[in-house]
Amino acid sequence: MALSNKLQEIIDDIASMSREEKLETLIAYAESFPDLPERFKAEKEKMEPVPECMTPVFLIAEKDSDNGIHFYFDIPKQSPTVRGLASILLNGLDGCTLEEIISVPVDFYLPMNLQEAISQQRINGFVGVLAHMKQAAVNAR
Amino acid sequence: MPYARPEYLVDTEWVAQNLSNPNIRIIESDEDPLLYATGHIEGAVQVDWFSTLQHPLRRDFLSKEKFEEVASNLGITNDTTVVFYGDKSNWFAAYALWLFQYYGHQNVKIMNGGRTKWEQENRPLVKGVVTYTQTKYQAKEADNSIRAFRNDIFKQIESKKPLVDVRSSKEYSGELTHMPNYPQEGATRGGHIPTAVSIPWSLAVNEANSTFKTKAELMALYEDKNIKPDGEIIAYCRIGERSSLTWFVLKYLLGYENVKNYDGSWTEWGNLVDAPIEK
Repeated sequence: MALSNKLQEIIDDIASMSREEKLETLIAYAESFPDLPERFKAEKEKMEPVPECMTPVFLIAEKDSDNGIHFYFDIPKQSPTVRGLASILLNGLDGCTLEEIISVPVDFYLPMNLQEAISQQRINGFVGVLAHMKQAAVNAR
Repeated sequence: MPYARPEYLVDTEWVAQNLSNPNIRIIESDEDPLLYATGHIEGAVQVDWFSTLQHPLRRDFLSKEKFEEVASNLGITNDTTVVFYGDKSNWFAAYALWLFQYYGHQNVKIMNGGRTKWEQENRPLVKGVVTYTQTKYQAKEADNSIRAFRNDIFKQIESKKPLVDVRSSKEYSGELTHMPNYPQEGATRGGHIPTAVSIPWSLAVNEANSTFKTKAELMALYEDKNIKPDGEIIAYCRIGERSSLTWFVLKYLLGYENVKNYDGSWTEWGNLVDAPIEK
């Protein structure tokens, strides 16, 4: 299955950028990342804190009447890189069907050549966020 | 009880009072490379542990020549006092400080509490790139008295000299080969270097505001585990960043003479063929 049009568009766009533009774009994505809606805040408090965890990511998914899946995140403002990467996935996949979401390959990020801008460890975090999104999509109510 | 070398630590107020001091350069060094761009202390420049401080090809730090270029571009002279601060309890601030010392820079300090405390005190952060007039920095030859390599570790085990594992307890026990939530930074084997004692780095800082614990608390923490001031100590973690913080604590807050950071750390040792491991 092909990637969602929106995600493909974002990937193509970032792929064409210089290293500096990539960093600026990630910051812009991080800054436009929405806050967690009030209605989920109580659920978030039930989460176990993870000692030494560098960036606690909270994520939940809901299904609309057309089977489109919507994601809601809580990622601290002190972690703009993780927010920026999650924001790319949110922009690219929000409203997609479960099939579209779980078919995103784990190497989807390669064409963007982000490793020239951020470390491989951060990129692995990207894959981690995608894996969490797939799991949340499966559990979407 | 004052720290052994109090001149290596400054508080946020001291930094606030010295923002426009031309003899001082403030450097932000974060785990998250985009954090600086979202706002930083006025006049502060950024070094990134990955894109600035690593060798572009092999697993090593940047060369002496490259370090001179970086320092010159940041407007640092050999006499500049360099003050480091960063996120995550100053992990990467300590890493950058250690590397500056590795290339012989003398006047270095850490801002106690780092970004966390600065933000908690609602002190201003500004955006924008800061540039300074280029200098002609001259680095010294790499100081291997503060850096350990794998062969030093074999000797350390053999001679029963102290090794400090500063990772979390589950990494030490081998239950995890990586940090919680950092699944890909691991090694093929879990456990710790034989004879190493476990003293997680985080015990040296106050969780509430990322400042260092008192000298008395720190002495108790390390001496209770037989890490004594006269020992020849090597600290390690996973890639050498958390152990830079422990190195700083032992060397400057407690005044231990002989402390090295093993930057190969578990991502080297846990992948090294034929190296002994304990669980």
